[in-house]
Amino acid sequence: MKDIQNSGKEDGQEKSSRGRKDTCWNRKKNRQKQEIKEEPDLDDHKLSSEDLEKKYGTNIVAGLSSARAAELLVRDGPNALSPPKETPEIIKFLKQMVGGFSILLWFGAILCWIAYGIQYSHDPSSSLDNVYLGAVLAVVVILTGMFAYYQEAKSTNIMAGFSKMIPRQALVIRDAEKKTIPAEQLVVGDIVEIKGGDQIPADLRLLSSQGCKVDNSSLTGESEPQGRSCECTHDNPLETKNIGFYSTTCLEGTATGMVINTGDRTVIGQIASLASGVGNEKTPIAIEIEHFVHIVAGVAVSLGITFFIIAVSMKYPVLDSIIFLIGIIVANVPEGLLATVTVALSLTAKRMAKKNCLVKNLEAVETLGSTSIICSDKTGTLTQNRMTVAHLWFDNRIFVADTSEDHSNQMFDQSSGTWASLAKIITLCNRAEFKTGQESVPIMKKIVVGDASETALLKFSEVIVGDVMEIRKRNRKEMEAPINNTLYPACSILSLLQLSIHETDDPDDNRFLVVMKGAPERILEKCSTIMINGQEQPLDESSAEAFHTAYMELGGLGERVLGFCHLYLPAEEFPETYSFDTDAMNFPTSNLCFVGLLSLIDPPRSTVPDAVAKCRSAGIKVIMVTGDHPITAKAIARSVGIISANSETAEDIAKRLNIAVEQVNKRDAKAAVVTGMELKDMSSEQLDEILANHSEIVFARTSPQQKLIIVEGCQRQDAVVAVTGDGVNDSPALKKADIGIAMGIAGSDAAKNAADMVLLDDNFASIVTGVEEGRLIFDNLKKTIAYTLTKNIAELCPFLIYIVLGLPLPIGTITILFIDLGTDIIPSVALAYEKAESDIMNQKPRHKKEDRLVNRPLAIYSYLHIGLMQSLGAFVVYFTVYAQEGFRPGFLIGLRVDWEKDMNDLEDSYGQEWTRYQRQYQEWTGYTAFFVAIMVQQIADLIIRKTRRNSIFQQGLFRNKVIWVGIASQIIIALILSYGLGSVTALNLTMLRPQYWFVAVPFAALIWVYDEVRKFYIRRYPGGWWDMNMYY
Amino acid sequence: MRRQLRSRRAPTLPHGYHYRLDDQDEVNQNYLADEEEEAEEEARMMGVPNLEKEEEEDLVEEEKEEKEVVQNEEEEGQGQPMGNTWWQKLQLINEYLWDPEQRRSLALTGLILILYFLFYASLAAVITICMYTLLLAISPYMPTFSERVKPPGIMIRPFAHSLNFNFNVSEPDTWQHYVISLNGFLQGYNDSLQEEMNVDCPPGQYFLQDGDEDEDKKACQFKRSFLKNCSGLEDPTFGYSTGRPCILLKMNRIVGFRPELGDPVKVSCKVQTGDENDIRSINYYPESASFDLRYYPYYGKLTHVNYTSPLVAMHFTDVVKNQAVPVQCQLKGKSIINDVINDRFVGRVIFTLNIET
Repeated sequence: MKDIQNSGKEDGQEKSSRGRKDTCWNRKKNRQKQEIKEEPDLDDHKLSSEDLEKKYGTNIVAGLSSARAAELLVRDGPNALSPPKETPEIIKFLKQMVGGFSILLWFGAILCWIAYGIQYSHDPSSSLDNVYLGAVLAVVVILTGMFAYYQEAKSTNIMAGFSKMIPRQALVIRDAEKKTIPAEQLVVGDIVEIKGGDQIPADLRLLSSQGCKVDNSSLTGESEPQGRSCECTHDNPLETKNIGFYSTTCLEGTATGMVINTGDRTVIGQIASLASGVGNEKTPIAIEIEHFVHIVAGVAVSLGITFFIIAVSMKYPVLDSIIFLIGIIVANVPEGLLATVTVALSLTAKRMAKKNCLVKNLEAVETLGSTSIICSDKTGTLTQNRMTVAHLWFDNRIFVADTSEDHSNQMFDQSSGTWASLAKIITLCNRAEFKTGQESVPIMKKIVVGDASETALLKFSEVIVGDVMEIRKRNRKEMEAPINNTLYPACSILSLLQLSIHETDDPDDNRFLVVMKGAPERILEKCSTIMINGQEQPLDESSAEAFHTAYMELGGLGERVLGFCHLYLPAEEFPETYSFDTDAMNFPTSNLCFVGLLSLIDPPRSTVPDAVAKCRSAGIKVIMVTGDHPITAKAIARSVGIISANSETAEDIAKRLNIAVEQVNKRDAKAAVVTGMELKDMSSEQLDEILANHSEIVFARTSPQQKLIIVEGCQRQDAVVAVTGDGVNDSPALKKADIGIAMGIAGSDAAKNAADMVLLDDNFASIVTGVEEGRLIFDNLKKTIAYTLTKNIAELCPFLIYIVLGLPLPIGTITILFIDLGTDIIPSVALAYEKAESDIMNQKPRHKKEDRLVNRPLAIYSYLHIGLMQSLGAFVVYFTVYAQEGFRPGFLIGLRVDWEKDMNDLEDSYGQEWTRYQRQYQEWTGYTAFFVAIMVQQIADLIIRKTRRNSIFQQGLFRNKVIWVGIASQIIIALILSYGLGSVTALNLTMLRPQYWFVAVPFAALIWVYDEVRKFYIRRYPGGWWDMNMYY
Repeated sequence: MRRQLRSRRAPTLPHGYHYRLDDQDEVNQNYLADEEEEAEEEARMMGVPNLEKEEEEDLVEEEKEEKEVVQNEEEEGQGQPMGNTWWQKLQLINEYLWDPEQRRSLALTGLILILYFLFYASLAAVITICMYTLLLAISPYMPTFSERVKPPGIMIRPFAHSLNFNFNVSEPDTWQHYVISLNGFLQGYNDSLQEEMNVDCPPGQYFLQDGDEDEDKKACQFKRSFLKNCSGLEDPTFGYSTGRPCILLKMNRIVGFRPELGDPVKVSCKVQTGDENDIRSINYYPESASFDLRYYPYYGKLTHVNYTSPLVAMHFTDVVKNQAVPVQCQLKGKSIINDVINDRFVGRVIFTLNIET
């Protein structure tokens, strides 16, 4: 009840912080959101079987009746996860059609058709130009929409992974008979039997268990098998041993259980609905692009409307004013930009895929670059997800074993006699075996039959002593027995002692060897002597003390410690013919000789510490969030650098200063280890405080719901959060994160489906690559957008001047489309290939709300500086073309009305008379000239956009070859348009005299020089006024 | 671009979740408290000037505060001279201006304005220089290129918006405007005017005038009387009153244009589509139906001020009445093209006559 109250409080605070705009409806929504973050509230594990029978109306022996089962099936629905509601494809498609700039372009297209309608009503023979233009705009929208839809369709469905986990059949007792039924038909109250190898068909309250072990790693992230029994061992349903969870695997043993939850109500089902219930947050780049679209659309609409009003008040006919409006909108909207951004992102995605980062959601490419917090799962992500021998203790010394992925150099001293004995025990007292037929496989990659610890020991001994199977053959096993002690009733394997009796491989020695391993303190209880330097010595106080010190030390490292002992049975008492009996225990199990300790850990991947350090230097906070024990988590965190060597937690300080934890000033502790239990009692403010005040945080023993809370807490700090994980338990957090990163090899399908990115090699270091690429693409997108926005002014000015000064139209709408969707496309993509200007991995991640993709300096510099210079150059070309044909600049002003009239003897400044069509052709020549002028200056623009701070010559003019491909494409497309298609009247282009191609070149040079000056002052006075205003 | 517009799925309730109703009060309390806090925050926000625009507002605000202070002072120490308030105000503004923080941002704003002014001034200078050089480089007498305006287009008079001549002979209102238009057009061709302004140059050859480009050129006479029956001198209604309309045809002026090889450009009209005999007969004036070579070349309006475009009048003496007759008049000559598909006025003109009786 406590946590529910608490959550209510949290809920309230969260809501109230939203301020007065909060409506009732919003509150309701928040409450719902809060609900899914609740822990699964089960109390069935605390009930006795009688209460259970009563609660579920069933009978433990006879099971449900078929009729009752059918009834329940109707009530609760089938025992399967319900797939998420899908947005119909057509809706998705339509959404693409109206998003972004599309709505503006549709508006333009419709205006075109309206304009034609008005024209038609006046004069049925009027030209179809406006209809074509409208059609072209519509086609542009539809094509970009289809492109975007195609990208969206690529992303996969999250539910697919969950549905794969559903077991097919279940053995159920109904009507007092055992039946095999499809698992989907299970209902609450059914009595189910499971055995090793089965997937558990629903959430089960175990009623009886015989050596049952389950693998809960997909749920909790713990890699060790866990014993299951029928006693309630913990208040938390996730921790107690008498519940088996839907879709986890029963590794060995058998059990009978009562179904307590089915389908979506199971714990996994709740996680699944949690994952799909978590809204997919907009990626930072999507927010940025939206912001940018808003800016551009705002400019377009306000300019359009302003000039519409100006035009109308200048006594232009409404029809003309509408056409101006269309022109202004088309000029303002960078039609090709969104497609370019997509292509740039997918290029980066491809590059990342080569480095084993598979990006599922294109926009996630950039997200990693702006990530400021990485919440990493431990098992399988930071660690190898494989128990490995880390330390040994014998002869009163601790030895370090090599835990790297291949175990290649074991450096500890192997000359001691104690080691020989220890090695023998490790080799013999082990039931794990290599699967046959793997002779050529390296030892560490061989598949082993057996549990994680035994596997570790088997591999360890195989590496060090050689052929284990052969040794075992030579030391034939006489008998093997697990010893259960009544003091330790729980089924934990840690409290199990494992004992076996072997013949020795020494032909002269006909004694039997008893070897035993298990929990160290229990092994020690059974021993009376200890082996030091190969000699058996009585176990006195001091050696027991040494043992305890070592045990605590190893335990403190978060390692699982095993003790080993042996005993040579005297040949007289136990002759070769002696028959050992497990049940009768006709052999000694005490007064053995203690040999040594061995500690196991799931070691960190070797690449992780380096990667964590790189993340640190890149200003990214790495937080560990794991379902594992705090001690283990902290040890791993220390070894990978998530908690750095010199920082302490509050507990550490308390221990050092010998004071109570409460007395420690929380600010002094750089690091913090927070457990799920603590987290449960925390308000979101407390969590915020922890996240804000500690730079090194480990969350241990967390549930999937808590992972979600942690991610949300990070997001409240305005951080862009990346979550890495591999298990089902991580999937809600993966989904909630700004970018979810799943492990490709170890990851469950659910995790991979919820993630935006998959690390194909499970290598945490790939994240660093991803960060680098993400930051680079952000910078390069800035450049692309700056490049694209610049020419908007050069496209827009003609319309404004046309309206105000009455010049013949300098550039047509169709021609603008040729720039936006023709010459400019490849160059703007080429900017995505630009190398980083400086060491982007030593900078802080960008601030989500402050470092915008399109900021004020970018817009101002592009629009009001370079853009204006471009329009200037283009106008000079335009005036030149007209002047040389007979219309001198001064003459053009105010000429528009006559120019557009159906007058076939319009005088020019030389007294020559022009027909309407001749003027039209001249106008198209003007379009072409303007187009070419913009194209030429865009080449300069492209070159200056290569860098934002450095000089082009520092960056290298020729390092990015793609830029030159872009420039070539620009020129070639322009040449084709002018000379190849110049005779196609619908395109409004003409064959331009060659000399006009060069008129704008000085202006292009001017742009370059101007930008170099800008960059020079930025470099000269970093942080200064110029830098603040001119650096975008 | 992928846009995430996913529907947020309503989450299923975790099993056994209860929520307490009395939480609601707590919630509301928090809610109110926060509201107050937020209002405070907003107030604080308002007080912080962040842009130059708000500085002015600040100034105003401070002035207001100042007024309040003054009022208080007045209430306390009565009888203070009014001049003091102005002085204080001035002082305040003075202080504001000298406040290092404010001054810095003011200075920055000023600096930005100055820099932009300089930047745009230099851009304006650049374009002025460009335009100036452009005008210097281009001859005012002779266009650099004239391939766009060649081959010449033609135009007819009277022309009023449309090329359809619809009129009723018996209703002068329907054709009067043609007559007025023609009369107006031919004013410049009056014999007296032509004789006074222009020279009578020999027909059949180019009227070439050597000499410098900027020298004024003489123009050849084209007298209205050359148009005979269509001159409007004998028949002031140009035949419209009798259903025998005159239509004048004018070739577009092009600087330096010479009909090649000494052949004058001829005009010929015929029915465009339909029965060829619908026109029956046309009288051309001048009778040669051509533009005499002496009117070429044209030297441009700057030097060739009095140049009078030669005309050819077509007198449709016997057109079929009460039906639309599409007429196409074409120029014929060596350097003439009259079949451009897109341009229906290059070397040809198409109009319809629909004369009702």
